[in-house]
Amino acid sequence: MRNLPPFLMIVKEGLDKTLTVAKFLCALHVTNTYLCTSVMAQGPSMLPTFNLTGDLLLAERISARFGRVGPGDIVIIRSPENPRKIVAKRVKGVEGDSVTYVVEPKSSDRCETVVVPKGHVWIEGDNIYDSNDSRKFGAVPYGLIQGKVFWRIWPREGFGSVR
Amino acid sequence: MRLLGGFIGQWSSVAKEALDRTMIVAKFLCLLHVTNNYLCSSTLVYGPSMLPTLNLTGDVVLAEHVSTRLGMVGLGDVVLVRSPENPRKTVTKRIVGMEGDTVTFLVDPMNSDRCRTMVVPKGHVWIQGDNIYASKDSRHFGPVPYGLIQGKVCYRVWPLDGFGSLG
Repeated sequence: MRNLPPFLMIVKEGLDKTLTVAKFLCALHVTNTYLCTSVMAQGPSMLPTFNLTGDLLLAERISARFGRVGPGDIVIIRSPENPRKIVAKRVKGVEGDSVTYVVEPKSSDRCETVVVPKGHVWIEGDNIYDSNDSRKFGAVPYGLIQGKVFWRIWPREGFGSVR
Repeated sequence: MRLLGGFIGQWSSVAKEALDRTMIVAKFLCLLHVTNNYLCSSTLVYGPSMLPTLNLTGDVVLAEHVSTRLGMVGLGDVVLVRSPENPRKTVTKRIVGMEGDTVTFLVDPMNSDRCRTMVVPKGHVWIQGDNIYASKDSRHFGPVPYGLIQGKVCYRVWPLDGFGSLG
C-alpha cells in the first residue's frame, strides 16, 4: 500500500468517500420509498388544514401498503389526470361507502350521492370551494395512493401531528 | 476463566463469519429488489384474457419498468397494470387507447354486437385483453389512470417454445 503513487491514494480515498455518500443516498431512497417521506404541499385546496404557500409534511408509506387507509385520513395520491403530479387530499369514503357531496358550492347547494366502487376511494380537499378532487374526476383507484400524511414539519407554528 | 474466554472467542468468530455471509446474501437481495423495481422483473401471468398472445395456464414474462417511468408506453403495448378493482392484484392487458383517443369497443361480444364509443380522458389509458370474449378490462371498469401502469411486457421466457419478444 505504501508503494502506491500518491495520486492513486487520492483516487482511492475519493472512491471510498463517494461510496459512503452513495450508500447513504441508497438508504435515504429506501426510507423514502418504503417507510416515510417528506412532501411539500401547496395550493388552496386543503385550507385551513394546510397553508396556501406551502407546508412541509411527513407521509408514511406503511398504512397504504397494508390497506389501512380510511375515511378522514389525509393522503398523498398520484393525480389521475397527470401521472407525474402528486396531490394531497383527504379521504372521504372507501369502497362501498355512500358519499354525499356538494357538486359546485360556489354556484349552488346541489348535492349528489354516489357509491364508491370496489377498489376505489373518494378524495376531497378540505376547501371544497377551490379543490380539484373526486367531485370532478370521480373515485380514484386505491392503487394510486402513495402515502398517509401524519406530521407537519414546516412552518414551525404548525409543527405537530396532522389530523 | 481462560476456558470461558476461549469458548466465547470461538463462538464470536463463527458469528462473525455467519454475519458476513448474511450480509452478502442481503446485498444480493437488495440488488435483485432494485433491479426488479426499476429495471426489469419477471412475472407469471395466467388466465384466458390474453389468448392467443399469452397462454391460459401461465407464461413467465419479462417486464421492463423504465418505459413507464419515462412515459414512453404507447398504443399496442402489453402492460402490467395494478387492477383498479383490487389494488393487490396485477393484471396483464394491451393498451388500445391513449389519452385523447376515441375508442370503439364491443360491450359484450358473447351476447350481442352492440358497440360503444368513448373518448379516453386526460391521464388515462384504455386497456383490453386480446381475448375480448373472456377479459375483464376497460370495457367493464372504464379507463385506467396512467399512474397504475407498473411495467411493459417485452419478452416471454417460459414456455420455451414461446421464447421470444412479444410484439
